[in-house]
Amino acid sequence: MTQKEKSWKEIPIAGVCWKPSTQYPTGDWRTLKPLWVELVSPCTFNCPAWNNIPRCFKNIRDGKLAEAAEVFLETNPFPSITGRVCPHLCEQHCNRNEYDEAISIRSIECFLGELVLEKKTGSEFYSVSPETEKKIAVVGAGPAGLSAACYLRKAGHKVAVFEKEEKPGGTLTYGIPAYRLPKQIVDKEIAALTKMGVEIKTSITVGVDIKFDHIQKEFDAVLLATGALKERDIRIPGEELLMSGLDFLKKVNEGLREAPGKDVAVIGGGNVAVDVARILKRLGAISTILYRRTEKEMPAVSEEIDKAKEDGVKFNFLTQPVEASKKNGKIVLKCIRIRLGEPDATGRRRPVPIEGSEFTLEFDAVIKAVGEIPDTTWIPKEFLNEKGWIKVDRSTYLVAENVFAAGDLTSGPATVIEAIAAGRKAAKSINQYLKGEEIKPETPLEEPVKFEEMNIAYYETAERVKTPELPPQDRMKMFDAEEVLGISLGDVKKEAERCFSCGYCRVCELCSIFCPDSAVRLNNDEIECNYDFCKGCGICANECPCRAVIMQMDGE
Amino acid sequence: MKALKQKMLALNGDEAVAYAIKQSDVDIVAAYPITPQTIIVEKFSEYVANGEVETEFVCTESEHSALTACLTASLVGARAFTASASAGLALMHEMLFVTSGCRAPVVMAIANRALSAPLNIHGDQSDTMAQRDSGWIQIYVENAQEVYDSVIQAFRIAENLEVLLPAMVCLDGFTLSHTLENVNVLPDEVVKKFVGTRQLPKVLTHEGKTAAFKLDPENPMTMGPIALPNYYFEFKRQQEEAMRNALDVIKQMHDEYAEMSGRSYGNGLVEKYHLEDAEIAIVCLGSTAGTVKTVVDELRAEKIKAGLLRIRAFRPIPVKEIIEALENVKAVAVMDRAMSFGGNGGPVYNEVRHALYDSPTHPYIVNYIYGLGGRDTNSSQIHDIYKDLQEIIQTQHVEEPIKYVGLRE
Repeated sequence: MTQKEKSWKEIPIAGVCWKPSTQYPTGDWRTLKPLWVELVSPCTFNCPAWNNIPRCFKNIRDGKLAEAAEVFLETNPFPSITGRVCPHLCEQHCNRNEYDEAISIRSIECFLGELVLEKKTGSEFYSVSPETEKKIAVVGAGPAGLSAACYLRKAGHKVAVFEKEEKPGGTLTYGIPAYRLPKQIVDKEIAALTKMGVEIKTSITVGVDIKFDHIQKEFDAVLLATGALKERDIRIPGEELLMSGLDFLKKVNEGLREAPGKDVAVIGGGNVAVDVARILKRLGAISTILYRRTEKEMPAVSEEIDKAKEDGVKFNFLTQPVEASKKNGKIVLKCIRIRLGEPDATGRRRPVPIEGSEFTLEFDAVIKAVGEIPDTTWIPKEFLNEKGWIKVDRSTYLVAENVFAAGDLTSGPATVIEAIAAGRKAAKSINQYLKGEEIKPETPLEEPVKFEEMNIAYYETAERVKTPELPPQDRMKMFDAEEVLGISLGDVKKEAERCFSCGYCRVCELCSIFCPDSAVRLNNDEIECNYDFCKGCGICANECPCRAVIMQMDGE
Repeated sequence: MKALKQKMLALNGDEAVAYAIKQSDVDIVAAYPITPQTIIVEKFSEYVANGEVETEFVCTESEHSALTACLTASLVGARAFTASASAGLALMHEMLFVTSGCRAPVVMAIANRALSAPLNIHGDQSDTMAQRDSGWIQIYVENAQEVYDSVIQAFRIAENLEVLLPAMVCLDGFTLSHTLENVNVLPDEVVKKFVGTRQLPKVLTHEGKTAAFKLDPENPMTMGPIALPNYYFEFKRQQEEAMRNALDVIKQMHDEYAEMSGRSYGNGLVEKYHLEDAEIAIVCLGSTAGTVKTVVDELRAEKIKAGLLRIRAFRPIPVKEIIEALENVKAVAVMDRAMSFGGNGGPVYNEVRHALYDSPTHPYIVNYIYGLGGRDTNSSQIHDIYKDLQEIIQTQHVEEPIKYVGLRE
């Protein structure tokens, strides 16, 4: 026995230490260390623009609506538009789908988009960086071009957008029908861009009114974003008898209120085809969609297909026109029946014509909408490949020295949000280029948090908010009236509460409550861990409802 | 002392516990139900619901948690009580050691019950005997009156600053827990005065202040920290010393209570019945003593020198008292209502036989295992045991040292 070590008669009972436990930093017992992290949510991961939805919803829960809207604006300048027309892959992949129903992200996006829309046209909404004296030309005032223009202007550059049509907006203005996207919304978004200093020059066709070389020389950088607006041919005899779906939509958006006949067919299964078919119903025509595969394979947004059915649009699936002719003022379509074969590269089952199954259909008019391709005839040959597509680095958007391209022009027809995302990323590349930096593509997101990783014991089931909609009989009467109405602030908050907040701390403090060492504490709305006392038991990570706490080998 | 005016109530053993707890100024009761202990907490919860007590009543999800709640409450200076039996007590096993090691004077009533498997809800003492090395004081009682009296005494014993150990009061399941008896109860204020306020030892804090031994933010200290090989052993030796001290304290409290209530149970540690001139004697615990006493009376009427030693305190075991009590006995039968599988007889037999090794007169000693899983033991079986003892003396020979009472061989 050393002198220091006392006999059992001399020491206090029960092994009590007459010191508070804070004198014993037990953190050095730790093998695994908890880390409070932000992981990628499936909504963010599947959003082409990578909108940080969990962060946005946290702000809503905290009552910070303006900050919530700002989160959207960081990656998508037009939430009021995408809230309406986006197919919302975020909702399709929402982890809550596996529990009850996905969060109505679209309704919240729309609500926040409109909340800031009014302020956007006021001065000083956007904080534009100090002027750089750099000049950028954006060719095409569609979603990609306008998105890029917004972010380039924010960086302090002078931005001129060239648009061949009378009005800017591209597909937003001339493609999507007003009942899905009210034109005053598009106008306000564009007015906001003008207010921040983006110069929009309409009725100017690059290559005709102004030379490509001139733009390339005059501006420090050029972004080509003219979309994919050339109607694809179906390559059948009598094709010239068919009308273009894109042209039809454009005319309707310019004021046409007359159907091309009483009984009209639309060939195709995409969004353009469904838009056209639904407009035809509004114009009083019998409207029939002819599609060579089945409803399951239709690329159109599923809600729009449902609404088309409600409107009374007829569907003729597994039908492929093979010849068009004119007889007694009617278009006679010779069609062939299709069966579905093996899946193709896109995963959709390949259409296989059934021999000898030909039949004919008669219509007053037939509109084709089987897809679009970019028109590249105005672009100098050296920037095109042998197939006539633009030669672009898909990750940096670089075409050649000071020439960039983004959106449908490079990808072929895609969604508005994909164009917006491409516009933002191209703007980033252009910024790097203008600073003389290496142009780096954005780092891909990590794999998203899976449902199984969530601690759903902490979530109650709750119904998804119902978005009010105009009933079919009303929308037939009101041609331009927006069909999907907004939700209330109360409902926005309810939906934000429902959010699992996958991979994003909700600051619920469960980690702090359960920490057996009182090492986890809340400090100014942030969770703090005192690693002097954290033994690395992992209870915080285990209890976290959001998977915002992970365990890692200490010292790594 | 003037005889106290006492009220006579018809209570079963469990209700007698609940009544004693109601009067003992207990701060916290945390428990989980298990037959045959359930009535205790059930009855007590009525007192809580009726506002008759100010006790914090905690329903837990397990016995492990129940005892943990009592332990931690005790460490902040509260008077804590819980009750359990059989599997419930087994689930507390870990915390039994933590409680005694932390020197938390929690009091627990056990309505003794067999352990599974096979499943059996009836009485035997396997549950508490399995915990006899857990550092808890164990008092085994004979009837409902003693249940009431012992629970009240248990707080004073456990909380005594020379002891500071948790204590179990063990009553035979069903025989005592569920059987109605006449129980004399003391007035509330008398019991309250007897148990008093819990006293805490004074200790020196790291700031050099003298403070009460309890968890207190004003005087922070750590309870139950790690003790490495250089100190752990010393703390265990302290527990043993506390057990030794308990021998005297149990007697003192018993005497003090006896003077007040007019009721005594031997000297508190053991109760001797016609042992002065006994040649043959039975040693047992708990309610069986009642049956044995009847048989002793019958044998005495036949001039047979039979006696009984009832051990009341099994932990700490009163070795001196056992040796003295059996000094003049020629043959002893030790009854065990639990088995120690693979051991040399039951736990009580082990203790008594071991104690008698130091006796100047080495009586014959045999073990009778009885009453497992609630099997009844009647007076004729007790008579047979005494007959066996007589035969042993006659033949000067022990045929079988370990026997089973009422077992189909």
